[in-house]
Amino acid sequence: MRAREPDAEGHVDRDGVKLHYEVFGAGSPTLLLLPAWNVVNARFWKAQVPYLARHFRVVTYDGPGNGRSSRPLDPAPYSYEAEGRSAVAVLDDTGTDRSVLVSLSMGADWALWMAARHPERVLGSVFIGPSVALGEPEVPEGPPFDEPYVSTEGWAKYNRHYWLDHFEDFLEFFFAQCFSERHSTKQIEDCVGWGLESTPEVLIAMEGAPRPDEATVRGWCAASRCPVLVVHGDKDRISPLRSGRALAEATGGALVVVEGGGHIVLARDPVKVNLLIREFAGALAAGRRP
Amino acid sequence: MTAVEELPGARTVPEQTRARYPDAIGYAERDGVRLFWERYGDGETTVFLLPTWSIVHARVWKAQIPYLARHYRVLTFDGRGNGRSDRPAGAGAYTEREFAADALAVLDATATRRAVLVSLSCGALWATLLAADHPDRVTGAFYICPAVGLAPPHPERAVHSFLEPLDTDEGWARYNQHYWLRDYRGFLEYFFGRCLTEPHSTKQHEDCVGWALEIAPETLIDSHRGLLLCGLEQFRESCARVRCPVLVVHGDEDAIRPHAQGAALAEAAGGRLVTLAGVGHLPQARDPVRVNLLIREFAESLNGRAT
Repeated sequence: MRAREPDAEGHVDRDGVKLHYEVFGAGSPTLLLLPAWNVVNARFWKAQVPYLARHFRVVTYDGPGNGRSSRPLDPAPYSYEAEGRSAVAVLDDTGTDRSVLVSLSMGADWALWMAARHPERVLGSVFIGPSVALGEPEVPEGPPFDEPYVSTEGWAKYNRHYWLDHFEDFLEFFFAQCFSERHSTKQIEDCVGWGLESTPEVLIAMEGAPRPDEATVRGWCAASRCPVLVVHGDKDRISPLRSGRALAEATGGALVVVEGGGHIVLARDPVKVNLLIREFAGALAAGRRP
Repeated sequence: MTAVEELPGARTVPEQTRARYPDAIGYAERDGVRLFWERYGDGETTVFLLPTWSIVHARVWKAQIPYLARHYRVLTFDGRGNGRSDRPAGAGAYTEREFAADALAVLDATATRRAVLVSLSCGALWATLLAADHPDRVTGAFYICPAVGLAPPHPERAVHSFLEPLDTDEGWARYNQHYWLRDYRGFLEYFFGRCLTEPHSTKQHEDCVGWALEIAPETLIDSHRGLLLCGLEQFRESCARVRCPVLVVHGDEDAIRPHAQGAALAEAAGGRLVTLAGVGHLPQARDPVRVNLLIREFAESLNGRAT
């Protein structure tokens, strides 16, 4: 059961990959809540949608590989360029000229790509726990992804063969790392459930897609002209706070540090995150720079 | 906004941020015992969130206050023995009559002519006394998982003595005064585990254990023995005298007090019963939206009477 059901839904078809989107509310401007890693689907925004839709028009969609979207098994649809184009296609199909982008974790790459390549479509960009190649690797160094695993402990689970053998165990480990806050059992259970809607094969396909290097990311940041807000937990074990700080510096954006916050603060500190998004988007709607 | 630490009588334990702070606070005093009350909002109808057993204090209503105060004037107070109220010694200080008299004193101290009573668990005892003995002050009685002896307890809770030393610490054997003095925290962890049987209750569990650590086990023993003094026949007689509208909400997986007790109270007091499927003993904490909406619906249904 949902706190709020969509007012409209549909899908776009991109080279045979179907992407399912939902539209909530009718306010202005439109917020596009981007997908993240395909280990989750658009329901990870569940604590944002009901609130934000009271004030704005909200569009969400399932990225390729999860939810009600296709499950492609080749890497192409997961490249940052394909993901960015998919987001633009959703804007087109929902009749959205311009929107405020809200992204989590690796969704940051696609939001940056959009702001650099399609600046006329992006009013502003909110990054939550961004995983971007600015200085630091996003995941602690572990054993190689493609080689047979020799350990089953900790980040050794981040391994193609381990995923195929013990997918649910990997999901439980990974989301326990995402939620470093106490009292996160419900959020972990939700995320593991969404992870199980995907498959290890689909995650492996995405792992094979190119990620932008630091020079590319810096290029996007330099080309980006829209207002930026970065929200980052100082206990984020997936993407360190310094990444968020570097992104805010590179884009000239504001940084809000959530004390004690983990990687997915939007689920564990939804009121704070919602108010920050509203303040940011509300200022843009009023023609002010946030 | 006033930080609670700055309020008179602030507890020594640091408090979490609140979603809503009181608009007025104060003490009612009765026979030298000070009772700390809080008032929120200024609606025409007063909703009086009563204390329950002194193992917790008024923060047990934290998920009700911010919502209800948008519609009503909301009163709470810390039951004697916990929170910022005094901690008199002796079982005789913790009978249901003392709590009922305390509640009346708070109504008087806050110039509240009448109120909708909302009670939880043991609070049912004093809510019933108030409704029976002071019908002019009570417009309706809303009970949540009432702890009333109108139906048998869970069989596993009837095995062990509370007063006598036991040779086991397993399960409900921890509901024993000697165990409380030996391993109070062990009792609390177990007891609130049984109160909060729903998954994802870690936060509520931690809250409750924290509140329970604000009362000493010796005082908790007094408060429990005080409640043991409540006679069943007297209580039945009080129920029969309740004339105001009554609604009883009870979880069908309440591991502290069987659902049958709530059903029996609804029948004895001539009220309606709402059964919450899959819910344990503290639905105001684990199912707050549903409970809040039920309280509001109940209070609205009294509107003709409340004025």
